[in-house]
Amino acid sequence: MSWEFFLVTLITIGVAFGGLMGTIAYLILVERRLAAFIQDRYGPNRVGWAGLLQPIADGAKFLLKEDVIPGYVNKTLYILGPSIAVFTAMAGFAIVPFGPVDQAPSWMRFVIAPDVNIGMIYIFCVGSLGVYGVILGGWASNNKYSSLGSMRASAQVVSYEIPLGMSIIGVVLMTSSLSLNDILMHQAKFGILGWNVWTQPLALLIFFVSALAETNRLPFDLSECEQELVGGFHTEYSSMKFALYFLGEYAHIITVCFLTAILFFGGWQFPLIAEADSAYLGATLVKVVVLLTKVLLIILLIMFIRWTIPRFRFDQLMNLAWLGLIPMAALNILVVMTAKQFDWPIWTLPLGSLAIFVAAGLIGTSGKFIVSDQTVDFGESPEGYAHVHS
Amino acid sequence: MDGLFAVLIYTGVLVGFVITNLILTHIIGPTKKTAVKQMPYESGMDPVGDARQPFDVKFYLVAILFLIFDVELLFMYPWAVAAYKGDGGVPAELSSTVYGVMLVFFGTLAIAYIYAWRKGVFKWR
Repeated sequence: MSWEFFLVTLITIGVAFGGLMGTIAYLILVERRLAAFIQDRYGPNRVGWAGLLQPIADGAKFLLKEDVIPGYVNKTLYILGPSIAVFTAMAGFAIVPFGPVDQAPSWMRFVIAPDVNIGMIYIFCVGSLGVYGVILGGWASNNKYSSLGSMRASAQVVSYEIPLGMSIIGVVLMTSSLSLNDILMHQAKFGILGWNVWTQPLALLIFFVSALAETNRLPFDLSECEQELVGGFHTEYSSMKFALYFLGEYAHIITVCFLTAILFFGGWQFPLIAEADSAYLGATLVKVVVLLTKVLLIILLIMFIRWTIPRFRFDQLMNLAWLGLIPMAALNILVVMTAKQFDWPIWTLPLGSLAIFVAAGLIGTSGKFIVSDQTVDFGESPEGYAHVHS
Repeated sequence: MDGLFAVLIYTGVLVGFVITNLILTHIIGPTKKTAVKQMPYESGMDPVGDARQPFDVKFYLVAILFLIFDVELLFMYPWAVAAYKGDGGVPAELSSTVYGVMLVFFGTLAIAYIYAWRKGVFKWR
């Protein structure tokens, strides 16, 4: 390990970490302003110009407020919860390329950890660990809302882990690599028509929906729904520990959006201005900007979804994962591997995706399979409907 | 291995960041313990009983199912990388065998899935 490598790594970490932090701080502001716009009110606009200094004020306030540790909690786990949540969410970013990796300047890289050939597996490993932060936090709080929230979160995150991982298999089959940069380069070679979104539309849909559920975003934020569970698993948290949970959530969102942009939308590739072989002055910068723009658009989409679609019910949420997404993802893998095996032309892939999607829709809405399974019968439990429906 | 070393450095930075934050807020913020503040929050009511109660067995079932499907996923990753790589992947003469094996694999998976479904594991009441 040379000193040069060490130094470059430190600079890269500084840039990525600082960028991540700044982005998260301002994403929260953007989200609040967007929510205000959609709900026809003002939102934070007092601190600084049009509220631009709000994130700094928020950060200072998080530090200056009292750090309440209630008397009934398990102190070690209570502190460990948010730490793990933010740590795992941030650690996932280590292998995500945020620019054209092989055209980086000599003093920094566009990815923190270069040449990690198990990229996707690393992300899923670290991502699965994230559920510990939620479970530990909720359990250690010794609060009924927190317990319910963390149980829901664990069941939800664990269920959506599977379609998330399965949807990637199709992409991996297409590119024969787990490294994010290889997948990106494979798409960039063929221009805009090489983007995986054309060959894997169903995988994109499954990936995106599962990612929303993984990050506990709104159509699936059953673990912290305010109307039933106050704050969910972070009800008992205050000041910086609460902020750490939020940092974790937003870092998770950013990572997921990077993944979506890189896996399905060609990363930094864009027709005419940022092709694989474009070498004009400042091309590197343009590529970084293109990638960041794609990521930002996906984040904005997630925010719009949050303030548009109402929350699911818990049984609907679990059914969507187990009866909807997982069979669809498995069928998608089958289609892709069959097409690869028998050298079917490339246009059969989106057709296959469409066929699976339509078939799933028809079966799902026919009411023969799922709905009849879901007769709600409150009379069974001895306490009637008054007992806790988790 | 360079890459994993960079991950290690990054991990160190993250741990430092988290610990710094926790210590800073502990030092800077005020601490005034009152009896009410130390209580578990239960919408303003006095808390009744312990929060750590037995919960629905469904959660265990989901956890076990997750284990099955996740192990199966782990099996699929190396296959997905190697299957159609060409050089360094599955050799051409084994290609159809691997395809058949994967079909059998998906078949057994489907049987397990249907069994769980008919057993009512996916029912949430």
